[in-house]
Formats: sequence, structure tokens, C-alpha cells
Amino acid sequence: MQMKRFVALALAASALVVAGLAYGANRGETGSAAKAAPKGSAASLINCGTRVRIGLAAPITGPAASLGQQQLSWGRYFVTRWNRFHRLKVTIVQGDTQLPDTAAALRVANQFAGNAQILGVVGPAGSQEVVVSSPPLRSRGVAFVSGSATRTTLTRESVRRGFFFRVVPPDAIQAQSVANYMTRTLRARSVFIIDDQETYSVGLSDEVQRILRSRGVTVERDSVSQQTTDFSSTVAKIGSGVDVVYIPWQISSRAQLFGQQMREQGKRATLFGSDGLFDPDNFKIAGAYVSFFPVARTSPLITQYRNTHGGDPDYFGAPTYAATQVVVNAVDRACRDGRATRAEVRAQVRRTDIAARQSVLGLRIRFDANGDIRGGRFGIFRIAANGAYNPVG
Amino acid sequence: MRMRRDLSGGLASLAVVGAAFAGLLAYVVVVRDGDWALFFQLSVNGLTLGSVYALIALGYSMVYGILKLLNFAHGDVYMVGAFVGYGVLTLFGGPLDPTLPVWLLVVVMLVVAMLTTGGLGMLIERFAYRPLRDAPRIAPLISALGVSFFLQNSALLLLGADFRDYNPFDLIGLEGIDLGPVFVSRIRIIAIATAIALMIVLTLLVTRTRIGKAMRATSFDREAAMMMGIDTDRVIATTFFIGSALAGAAGVMFGLVFSQIFHFMGFLAGLKGFTAAVVGGIGSIPGAMLGGLLVGLTEAYATGYLSGNWSDLMVFSLLVVVMLFRPTGLLGTPAIQKV
Repeated sequence: MQMKRFVALALAASALVVAGLAYGANRGETGSAAKAAPKGSAASLINCGTRVRIGLAAPITGPAASLGQQQLSWGRYFVTRWNRFHRLKVTIVQGDTQLPDTAAALRVANQFAGNAQILGVVGPAGSQEVVVSSPPLRSRGVAFVSGSATRTTLTRESVRRGFFFRVVPPDAIQAQSVANYMTRTLRARSVFIIDDQETYSVGLSDEVQRILRSRGVTVERDSVSQQTTDFSSTVAKIGSGVDVVYIPWQISSRAQLFGQQMREQGKRATLFGSDGLFDPDNFKIAGAYVSFFPVARTSPLITQYRNTHGGDPDYFGAPTYAATQVVVNAVDRACRDGRATRAEVRAQVRRTDIAARQSVLGLRIRFDANGDIRGGRFGIFRIAANGAYNPVG
Repeated sequence: MRMRRDLSGGLASLAVVGAAFAGLLAYVVVVRDGDWALFFQLSVNGLTLGSVYALIALGYSMVYGILKLLNFAHGDVYMVGAFVGYGVLTLFGGPLDPTLPVWLLVVVMLVVAMLTTGGLGMLIERFAYRPLRDAPRIAPLISALGVSFFLQNSALLLLGADFRDYNPFDLIGLEGIDLGPVFVSRIRIIAIATAIALMIVLTLLVTRTRIGKAMRATSFDREAAMMMGIDTDRVIATTFFIGSALAGAAGVMFGLVFSQIFHFMGFLAGLKGFTAAVVGGIGSIPGAMLGGLLVGLTEAYATGYLSGNWSDLMVFSLLVVVMLFRPTGLLGTPAIQKV
């Protein structure tokens, strides 16, 4: 009896607490809504002061962490240099998207969109992350600039126009470079394409497949999940007549495993990866190829970065330096009168014009009407026996 | 009479499996122009994967057999085993520069992982299930889910979300046996042989030892076993130890064959292990072994002959088909309820 009374009292107390919290939350919401535009909307005016915040969304942990860490490192590198010479200081708010977990990317996008202090976002890294992040970021008027999302349709779909920008060329250009190299240099007559079922990989695979077939190359197609580590049954299907196996994936350690399982079964076909696998630390199958977006490898910026980061150039992260440069420059221009809105930052991102000599990409950074960088191209690298990535095309 | 019915049911199930296999062989001959190289390679791949699933399934089956409890934390115990094995590997110099002979290192990894996960299994039983032994059956089930999340998130917090790499190709190498149309690497031979050895040891333990007899008695009727002087708490704890140790061994084997481990790996593997246990007949040790191998082979053939997209679909379709036609599983027997 006493127990029942205790339970009833506890329930009543919990109900009171919940009701109080709900009332408080509602009051807070209506209060701020009554005063001005909703917090974190495109029109919210932010006092820039001497320090502003930008978001950086990257897979800082998880299977693609090796790439995300490079992006974070290059983003920080830009901000450190910027803060040294400018009155308006910048702070990076990190968001860990844990590629390929798109739920984590969505969480990060919601956090950034809801944080009124964040004026612009660098990232996200993967194309599927861009897709899931677009609705929250767009609804709150945030400009986001990716340093690695390459799926062609990202900038062709009107839903992201004016909000999403990227400093790397789209897969339509990558697919062309890859197909050209396979048919003209490797003289491939039979290609086995394996996508990883994600937005980026399927799109790129489709484009390469279309070009190769139009040139009379025999193309076989299969899929694997990014979650799997057993590729042995897919590898078993690669026939002796296959010249090239193309794997446009995003997780380099999986590609390494795939290459090792190919060797285990004695498959001799040439392995060919995409920009997502440009990771000398984790993907080092000797004789394999990877395509990669433009980076000025002889630029003094790369040399300085290398000198201050233990000798490792982290090429994959370099375009994120450019993306951070775009966002910070835009915020700086929008803050000239001491205050800025996200809409102003977006307008400034659209007007970006960074000279080639200031760009780590080795080319002038300007965007077309869709948000794509003008004049971008892809290079091809071959992995040597010592794991070095040598440019070959 | 009941025994004869069970036997005929089991034989009928095996006949269906045999017919499906014959159909597959006919497909290889007619549609694939007798491409036996692919068939045998897929069979080797499926047996390797199936060995891992079988070891996981054994843990599910043993615990269910004795407590009628679906231990959903079992997949995460397997994950812990994989990480313990990785820890031992790192402690002894890592795959590139091991400080012990490789065969000894693999044995040490297996033993330490099995002891640790066995102990973890006993702890889980003591603190998450034993207090709920007389509670309604839903309570320990929810407790099992809680333990599963606890283990997953503990691993995430303590070890991070990054993948860890056993790097078996550097540790053990790519050498193996070339059987003409099919190549079986040393790593796969180790995995399959270890699984078979563990299954034989388990079978002997259950059928030929006192503790095995006590386990069977407890599984048959816990109250009667208690009245006969069997310390059922000790028997249940031992069952958890053995089942979890097998999951730990499976975790190390997975790392050795498939290289990469991560905190969430137990979810899908646990689900497949559970499927294998149910397909084989949950509560039946030979059933768990058969179920594991069937699930592994189904996954390999589906990937090889259809696509990677189809493998999970086919595995869970197998579960549905078996449940439809033989709800007790291929080698399971229906439980008799006293009324």
C-alpha cells in the first residue's frame, strides 16, 4: 500500500516536471519568435564583433576518418593563417558526420542550421551527406561549400542552387578523365565496375559505364555494401578476361581490403579507384590507379603545410582549405558593416573570385550559376610499389 | 512415436536442403556452362563465413536451450572478442612486426579473447539476467537489448568509431593451397579448421562430460535438475561462459579473415548468427552448426550468382521459408508444454 502511494507520488512529481519543462520550452520558442525572425534563419542579423563562427562538417571519426581528419586539418590550417593577419577572427565549429552514416550527417546539419552564430558551413564531404544535409541548411539559409562532394547532379538540381557550392569539379568531368585513361592508355576492352550503393559511387559508376559502353568496351556491373568487409564472393566473379576493375568508393581501407582479396584469389586485373580513395596512408595496392581533383602540388602552401604537419601533404584535404577560404572570405565581406546575415554570406560566396596564386587548387576559384567551380579538371595517379602516388595523366 | 516424427521432420528438412543444393548444381551446369571454378570458390568463401556464423549461432542456441532467452547482447560479445584479439595483436608488436611466432600469436589471441568474452558472458548473466530469472519473459529480453546498447556504446566511447585493421595479409600472408580451379588461402584454412575444432570440442563437452550432462538436464527441466542436486546457477553461468567464449573466438576469426573491426560490427553479425540458430533449430547444437553454414553459403552464392545487393535478402528469405515450412528449424524439436 505504502509502495503504491510512493509510486503514485513519483509519477505525479514526474508529470509536474515534464509539464514545467514543456511550458518553459514553448515559452522560450514563442518569446524569441515574437521578437524577431526565428533563430538561425537566413534573415537573422548577427553582430560580427571580432570573432565569427563557421561550421566544418567532415567524417572526423568512423571508417572515412582518415579523409575527414585531413579535411579538418586543412580547414584549421587556413583559419590559423587567417587569424594571424586579420582583425576579424574565425572559430571553426566541428561537426562529425561519420561517413557513411548519413544519420550523423543530418544531425550535424541540423545542429549547424539551428546555431544562429554559424554564418556559413564548410562541407560536408560525401555526396550523400550533401543530399541529406541540404533541407536543414537550406531552410535556415546557410551557404555550404564542399571540398570533396563530386556527384554531378548535386549542382544540377535546383533545390540546392544558391546554397550549395563546391571547389572540386563534378563527376561528369571525373568520369570523362577516368574513361579516357582506361580506353586510351590502359587499352581496356573489358571493365568490371563495382559501386558501393551510395549516391556518389552509383552516380560516378553510371557515368563511367555510359562512356565506356559508348566506346565499345564490355562493362560488367555489381554492387557491394559499404558496411561489408567480405568481398571474396564479389572478387570470385571477376573473370580472367577483365582488364580493369573500377571501384569508385569512399572508404579507402575497404578498397585496400578489396585489393588484398583480389590478390588472395590470384586476380590480375588492374584496380582503379576514384578521388574518394586518394589516401596514401590506407590505399596502397601497388599498380592500382586513382583519379584525383586538382591540387597545386608544388604550391608553397602545400610545402608550408607539409612542414608544419609532420611532412605529410594530406592532399585529399587540400580542397577543404579552398572551401574554408571561400566561406571565411565571404563572411569577412558580409561583416564589413559589423553585422551580417546568412543571406549576405550566401551572396558573397556566389561572388567569390580568388586568384590562382592564392589558391591551393592551382586555378582561379569562381563559381558558375549552379555552384560549380569553373575550369576544374581531374588527374590520374598510379600507386608505386612503395605506396607513393605518382601522377601519370 | 514423437521421436520418429521428429526424425522424419528433420530428414524431410534435410531433403529440402539437398534438393535446393541439387537445383544450384543444375543452375551451374545449365546456365553457367559448368563454371565449377566460381562454384568452388564461392563454396570456400561461404564455408569461411558460415564458420563464423556457426560459432555465433552456437552461443545463441546454448543460452536459448537452457534459459529460453534470446540473448541479444551476444553479437556485441562477439564484437568485444574481436577487439580483445586486436588488443593482443597490438600488444605483441602488431601484424607487421609480431614479437611472437605467428601461429603462437594467433593461439594467444584466440585464448585471451575467449577467456575475456567468456568472463564477460558470465558477468552479463550474473547482473543482467539472473535477477530477472523469475520475471516475465519480456523482462530479460529487454535487459538483453539494454546490455547490447551498453556494450556498443562503451566500445564507441572507449575505442572511438574508427575501424581497426588486423591486417591479416601482412600477419599471415597470402599463401595457401592451390586446388586447380580454386585457391584456399592459409587464413581461410585456419578459420575453418578452428571453427571445426571448437565445434568438436563443444560436442564432446556436451555429450561426454559431467558438466555437459548437467547442461542437458538443466535444459530439459531446470526444476527437476535442481531437485536432483544440480547447481543450476553454476550450470547456467558455465553455459554463458562457453557460448560467449565461442563468440569471442568468432570475433577473432572474423578479424583474421575479413580484417576490419568496428564497434557496430556485432549488430549484423549477431542478426545473422541468430538467423543461423533459428534456421538450424534454436536450442540444437548440430542445428546451429548447420544453420551457420547454410547462412554463410547462401550469402556467398547470392553474392556470386546474383549481386551483393541480394545477399542479405536471400539470407533472410531463407529464414522466412524455413519458418513457414518448419517453424522449429531444420534440426529443432517442438517444445512440449506441460498442462
